[in-house]
Amino acid sequence: MRVRTWLTPYVFVSPFFLVFAAFGVYPLIFALQLSFTRWRGAGEATFVGLGNYSYLLSSPDFWASLGNSAVMWVLIVPIQVVAGLGAAVLLANAKLRLRGFFRVAFIAPFVTPLVAMAQVWIVVFDTDYGLVNYLLNLVGLPDVGWLTSTTWSKPTLALLVLWKTTGFAIIILLAGLQAVPGQVYEAASLDGASRWRQFWSLTVPLVRRSIAFLVVVQTLAVFQMFAEPFVVTQGGPYGSTETAGLYLFDHISASDLGTGAANSFLLVLLVFGLSLGAVRLLRPKDGTS
Amino acid sequence: MSTPPIGRRGFIKGALGVGALAVAGCAPGGSGQAVPSKLAAPSATASTVKGEITIWNRSGDLFKVFDAAIAKFKQAYPGVTVNHQQVDIDAKLANTLISGTDVPDGSFWDDAKIGGQAEHLYDLTDLIAPYQDKTAPYKISVNTVDGKIYGVPWDLDPGLLWYREDILEAAGVDIASIATYDDLLTAARTIKDKNPASKPIHLDKNPFLSQLWLEMLANQQGTSLTDASGKLRLDSPEYKKIFTWIEQATGDGLVTHAPYLEPADVNTLDNGQQVFVPWAIWWSFAPQNLLKATKGKWRAAPLPAWTPGGARSGVMGGSSFVIPAKAKNPELAWLLYEYLCFKDEGIQAVYGPNSVYPGGLSTSVPSYLPVLDPAKPLFQPIEALGGQDLWKVATEASSTIPAAAPIPWWWAQSVDYLGNNVQRLIEGKMSPDDVIADSAKKIQRNLVDRG
Repeated sequence: MRVRTWLTPYVFVSPFFLVFAAFGVYPLIFALQLSFTRWRGAGEATFVGLGNYSYLLSSPDFWASLGNSAVMWVLIVPIQVVAGLGAAVLLANAKLRLRGFFRVAFIAPFVTPLVAMAQVWIVVFDTDYGLVNYLLNLVGLPDVGWLTSTTWSKPTLALLVLWKTTGFAIIILLAGLQAVPGQVYEAASLDGASRWRQFWSLTVPLVRRSIAFLVVVQTLAVFQMFAEPFVVTQGGPYGSTETAGLYLFDHISASDLGTGAANSFLLVLLVFGLSLGAVRLLRPKDGTS
Repeated sequence: MSTPPIGRRGFIKGALGVGALAVAGCAPGGSGQAVPSKLAAPSATASTVKGEITIWNRSGDLFKVFDAAIAKFKQAYPGVTVNHQQVDIDAKLANTLISGTDVPDGSFWDDAKIGGQAEHLYDLTDLIAPYQDKTAPYKISVNTVDGKIYGVPWDLDPGLLWYREDILEAAGVDIASIATYDDLLTAARTIKDKNPASKPIHLDKNPFLSQLWLEMLANQQGTSLTDASGKLRLDSPEYKKIFTWIEQATGDGLVTHAPYLEPADVNTLDNGQQVFVPWAIWWSFAPQNLLKATKGKWRAAPLPAWTPGGARSGVMGGSSFVIPAKAKNPELAWLLYEYLCFKDEGIQAVYGPNSVYPGGLSTSVPSYLPVLDPAKPLFQPIEALGGQDLWKVATEASSTIPAAAPIPWWWAQSVDYLGNNVQRLIEGKMSPDDVIADSAKKIQRNLVDRG
């Protein structure tokens, strides 16, 4: 009788833990073990200790992939936060005409399949026959290798990501803005604070948690970015868009599973550190987390 | 509130215990891994053999061609049901072989990918033995890993020199005079003198294809990226010769650097800027399906040789058929592939006139030598090539192709180094010596040493 009493809650929660163990814990432990081996998916795995980790940490390609992701982060996240916040403030304004239309317009790219958008990017930014270069030529400017030069490939790809995901940023920040009580702004107006002052001293601090959340989520997304460079540039030209996620995939597709697993754990550590840093940096000054 | 029946320490101990068990049970490469074995020929006769097989194939026209050929196979083997599926093989096959679930009984695959996955495939050495001496040596060599054959050799893709016959005539260049790559440069200079806007020789802008092309030129000289033992041999006179030739051609302004059959390429092929395309036989697709203004003006000739009297062709690309080690009915898959690759009726079904290609499949030739008779064409002369007998040109060129070495498992990954550096060479950003030194160093460190 007593056994049944204490067992009951565990029976109730066990379905979740069973599924979590099968699809969360097991793959994690498997991947961790894999990261210490050389294994190509068949036959016996060879234990190599920290060999995969030391190979990656001394590999210029690994650091180049992180460097590419870091540049992409700089090109995407700050712009997305600023643009997203600006658009969210506009959309939160009840007096804005066609507010519903703008909301749909901003969100539409976010719900459009990435591969379809990537194909449009390939066509629009084609060096020889793309619309962008056609327009440049009309005003007497020369062709630019948007996706074929190492200088422009990252900004062009970042623009695709911005176009695709800024809608998501707007949703998050709009939700944060709508949680701010209207009386706060009324009080500030009565005290004579300008719109700009209200934005800096009220809006930004009060949506700080939303911004922190957005930065963490987008940092994760940028360092795991795979589909965009895979479809648009295949990591080229000359590896300039070989992001950390794509570099990781290269190991897997080459059946170098041990190195791929080690790479993914290094990436987890990095993203965890970056996310922690972002959360601490953006933590509200009242001490709440 | 009652005390929890299991304390925090107890929970942690339990979790650690479960974790330890999980670690012990999660080890990769456990006893469940099948060791690929040799496949034996089925003992049943064609009329009595029974069963069902799932066969993966590339999508597109080639799928339709094989679908029709498989229908004929089913007439010969009435007890065999073939579930023929269109699959994105590049994306799915390697992962499926590794995971071991829903594995097909047989699949089409690029030759360059087979060596890397040999441990997941049946050793077909004994089955292919009766046909080995009658198969193009190149195809046997690229399907061989550690002396065992893992792929049923299907097509042979000889390199040819595609050229604009009308422009050569106008410039007074006889195609027969282009016997070496130096002759090709001379002919290109002559054409450029006549038309300064011309950049007669196509070099490709796609790193993967440019490396595949490079291997064709290396194969012509009897070498390849690695030897039979897997030792890198990029630092060789043969590769140096190719890179120096590229540097010379680009330095003299003789090159159109364009991505394979993309609009910029098609446009310059059609407007007379490009006159020579040293490329595989599958380029025949372009005049037949893409080019408009110059359709009927292109012709094919054997590639020039690197030295007078040297081989007039090398292989660029190609595919074979593999039978996964976890196939349910591997013997039946073998019967199908034997029919398609080594039996006259099957070869005729694939290459001969069919509903998809009324004149026959002309983008490759079979690798089974007995059918490569210039006088007995499998596909007809091609109108888009001015009625030229491409079969004759291709089979004669094929007969000169040297053997190669197995394609290393990392070949596709090496494009990040070698393919990219070939592009830098074409763009004048690297010298031949730099390409060799940089590519060899990176391939050795990142790929060969990690095999």
